[in-house]
Amino acid sequence: MNLAEGVQFISLGILGVLMLVAALGVVLLSNIVYSAFLLGLVFVSISGLYILLNAGFVAAAQVLVYVGAVNILILFGIMLVNKREDFQPISKAWVGKAATGAVCLGLFTLLSSMVLATPWQLSTATPAGENAIEIIGLHFFSDFLLPFELASVLLLMALVGAIILARREYIPDYEPEDEQKVLTLRERPRELVATSSDNQEM
Amino acid sequence: MFVLTGYEYFLLFLIICSLVPVSALLAAKLLGAKGTGVARRTTYESGMEPIGGAWIQFNIRYYMFALVFVIFDVETVFLYPWAVAFHKLGVLAFIEALIFIAILLIGLVYAWRKGALEWS
Repeated sequence: MNLAEGVQFISLGILGVLMLVAALGVVLLSNIVYSAFLLGLVFVSISGLYILLNAGFVAAAQVLVYVGAVNILILFGIMLVNKREDFQPISKAWVGKAATGAVCLGLFTLLSSMVLATPWQLSTATPAGENAIEIIGLHFFSDFLLPFELASVLLLMALVGAIILARREYIPDYEPEDEQKVLTLRERPRELVATSSDNQEM
Repeated sequence: MFVLTGYEYFLLFLIICSLVPVSALLAAKLLGAKGTGVARRTTYESGMEPIGGAWIQFNIRYYMFALVFVIFDVETVFLYPWAVAFHKLGVLAFIEALIFIAILLIGLVYAWRKGALEWS
């Protein structure tokens, strides 16, 4: 049993409207916490579009990685610095806004002209559908084994790099100038160790 | 052409899920008594006195856990096809997946040794 054509069409419409409204909310709302939650809604509706396109695995990966990890990380980042700061209003802010608007409009026209110029051909092959994840798994352990194993090395590098960057336990070579610091990230106090000496916690 | 099966139940589930909170709030609004006293603004029953705002700055320590979590979340995406195709893959694939997990376990051990998983 499948979803009927009409139900698919209505779902597509609802998802599209939801995505556009949420994306506009991300940009236009002044409270960045709301923006972050709406970004999650955008990701969820994109995953719904993937399901409508028979890409179940991509939809699952979208929910897992983007909603479950990237968006949570963004929210964490916002909540860590979610401190009311007294920002000074920038004089001549409209120049920046106009420049941003021009660049965005240019990108939009470029992309839309490309979308309209591309001859979209519908593939006649039947989509894998339910079996797609199984086929991906079989590929992972046969002809794509090396990339699969290399992915774990890549993730390991990302993990180690993230820990080193987040801990910031080395003394920088130069002293950063503390003046004109608008946004400061509060950190727990910890002893800085020199790059040459061994880490005491090891 | 839509070939995935079983999604009509998913759609129904989604609709019911989105209706439940709306109907709960609506029922509370329609059926609930409308008090106008000062007690209306206090915390529900014998709750604590609220202090300060709800929008607080979170502790930076949480960020380390989030970073480690993201890496293992991406690992899940790679292991998901393996789990689905497990009955078709042999023992060799099992060993290969074990190697994959072992390489990432090095990262976990590193995080552990570096004290990234410690609270203080």
